[in-house]
Amino acid sequence: MRGLVASSAGARRGNVLFDADGPSRSLRLVATILPTAAIELNPITAEAAVRNLAEEHGVPVPHIHAVCTDASFVGGPFFLSDRVDGESVPRRVLRLVHAEGIGERVAGQLGEALARLHSIDPARAPENLMDDRSDNPAETALAGADRMVADLPLPRPALVYGIRWLERHLPPAPPRRTIVHTDARNGNILVSAEGLAAVLDWEGTVRHGDPMQDLAWPALRMWRFKEDGREIGGFAGREPFVAGYESAGGAFDEERFTWWKVLGTLRWALGLASQSAAHLDGRFRSIVMAASGRRVPELEWDLLMLIRPAQTERRAGGGSSADDDG
Amino acid sequence: MQYEPSAEQLLEAIAELLEDEVLAALPDALKHKCRVAGNLARILERQEALGPAGAARERERLAALVGAAGSTDAVELSRQLAQRIKTDDDPDFQRSAWDALVAICREDLAIAKPGHDAWEGP
Repeated sequence: MRGLVASSAGARRGNVLFDADGPSRSLRLVATILPTAAIELNPITAEAAVRNLAEEHGVPVPHIHAVCTDASFVGGPFFLSDRVDGESVPRRVLRLVHAEGIGERVAGQLGEALARLHSIDPARAPENLMDDRSDNPAETALAGADRMVADLPLPRPALVYGIRWLERHLPPAPPRRTIVHTDARNGNILVSAEGLAAVLDWEGTVRHGDPMQDLAWPALRMWRFKEDGREIGGFAGREPFVAGYESAGGAFDEERFTWWKVLGTLRWALGLASQSAAHLDGRFRSIVMAASGRRVPELEWDLLMLIRPAQTERRAGGGSSADDDG
Repeated sequence: MQYEPSAEQLLEAIAELLEDEVLAALPDALKHKCRVAGNLARILERQEALGPAGAARERERLAALVGAAGSTDAVELSRQLAQRIKTDDDPDFQRSAWDALVAICREDLAIAKPGHDAWEGP
């Protein structure tokens, strides 16, 4: 082994880059290490297996060579995968993409990658992958969010307003249930000058999800990193993304997509609120977690903008029709 | 009691210390936390300046919506509004509630993240 470099990945896991020399060849590798198995969403073996399954179906991912569940080697379970060159830090990704003029290409490739993932028969997913067995993933997600809003220590009427909108617009069960990545957005992908190089972070992947959840998530404002005019990750507008999805056999459903965008925004507000709660009750004392509580209004704003009441009501009241929906 | 410098001025001084002096001297692993702390000092600085008037307008907006049944406590008024949002299907009420929530959120953002409200969807 040569050239070990520890690289800061997400908050939950560490990456170590290194080169491994064998008798006949050298490999450029990454070890992705979980600090403990206790924080796994999916078991690491399920994550690795579903990622390799996605790879077989043409989703760009770094190939995984080995998985180890024995924590005695490096302190936690880990897997070894190929090292793929590219940027993953969102602002750097956006700088690269706009310097190279490949925003539309990346958005299209992300749509294509998601369509390939969604084309896989969920029965082929690893047995120990998280599974949504409920009748309607949207209904289940809404029930969870509703509970969390009700449990907030201080009332947040903007979030209640969001819950109400989600209830009124709840889509029926999706026509197809698919494997869903759940976190494929700017920040969890590798991008090079050639375009999308890999989709990373498969720890939250679910079997039998609603595919529109995956399309909506990278479209949220918070993944645009100030490039607000480019809906998909700050890369490009919706059209190339949807075109990429459809070109690889995906069926886009705009109403369902919008519903999941609203749900995702509300969920992120709740995520920030629970980070601040973890600081306050001592589970995770951190200035960063504390600061998250003060970020909730950002998500409340984004949420309210997505669920602006119909303009017809305002017209009926004699108001202006200057700013139309959207 | 007279405080000189004021809380706002001291928070500004703390933010300047963190941003202009401490940050550069820190190892990379601590820089993000230091930036977050500096930003929090800026938030509190703005809260000192804008908070009281904003909170008063929030209470007025909430009271106007829920009929101000005796309470002037923003938390209690928010609780009442949340309850009514869940149960009152009148589109005029829902529209007014949205308008008020947007106005309240704008004031929160003037403290927490100025400029965030420049975007109006989708």
